[in-house]
Amino acid sequence: MNLVDYIKPENVKLDLEGSSKREVIEELVEHMAETDEESDADCILEAVLKREREGSTGLEKGIAIPHAKCDAVRKLSIVIGVSREGVDFESLDGKPAHLFFLMIAPLSESGPHVQAIAKIVKMIKLETFKNKLIKAKSGAEAIELIRRVENGEV
Amino acid sequence: MSNPFKNILLYIDGSESSIVAAQLAIVMSKEFRSALRVIYVVNENLLNELLKAKIFVQMEKMDYERDLEEDGKRYLNYIVKLADRKGLKIETILRKGVVHEEVAREVEECGADLLVQGELGEVLSLRDSFYEAGERILRKVICPVLIVRGRDKVERSYEDA
Repeated sequence: MNLVDYIKPENVKLDLEGSSKREVIEELVEHMAETDEESDADCILEAVLKREREGSTGLEKGIAIPHAKCDAVRKLSIVIGVSREGVDFESLDGKPAHLFFLMIAPLSESGPHVQAIAKIVKMIKLETFKNKLIKAKSGAEAIELIRRVENGEV
Repeated sequence: MSNPFKNILLYIDGSESSIVAAQLAIVMSKEFRSALRVIYVVNENLLNELLKAKIFVQMEKMDYERDLEEDGKRYLNYIVKLADRKGLKIETILRKGVVHEEVAREVEECGADLLVQGELGEVLSLRDSFYEAGERILRKVICPVLIVRGRDKVERSYEDA
């Protein structure tokens, strides 16, 4: 599976404004609902918050991958968000999160969801990729970067 | 010359390229009158890695494992139908574990003389090439491996078979 088949430039939200975990999640979910007309923001938000109650998806080194399964989307939906200031996401290392990957999959589509999460986890291990993505100036630039990493060009 | 492929094993992961591989495996099995087995492996190792990395919680991991098992059954049933359309009866195998190890084990246990699989996925770097299941299978199994590319040509062969 290729991430670029699931993420378009409009699915990237640079300069997130939220200053708390809840605000950032709401902002990402809202953005997903705006860019995917068939999705249901309330349902997605509920699923993501429920998942976060079971354990934070804030990882180390400024990354968070909030995710959930729910039938508020028809196919795997991904929104990438960047917070220049950083947000306390109850991360594993206690440091602020800057880069967010919101991933929502329909109940019947676990395979691509797991593969996409695993792929993102692999990609963010590449420090250069992560730093460039955080500094991207546009959604198109972010997607081009992902495409290049997927093609082994970076 | 005797039939070199009496026992073919097809590995599928649900991707489009594994469906193409399935079509060619079916064509070959008909042509060579080979037994065809098809295997799908629930990537338990990947789920465990995501659990270890704290991306999944335990309940969630179990939930995904069940889902992937159901996906596997669905994919295997689809290949059974593809084979059935060509009058071929095949055996299906669903396993859980480390993908390349389970495929290699099946190759040995069923005495496969050819493993067929779809084209290899993109890799993030040379270092990461070993993470890709298809690549690992290729390096691990003890029988000849056929990597199937050329979707249009394979689809035509399947339709003509």
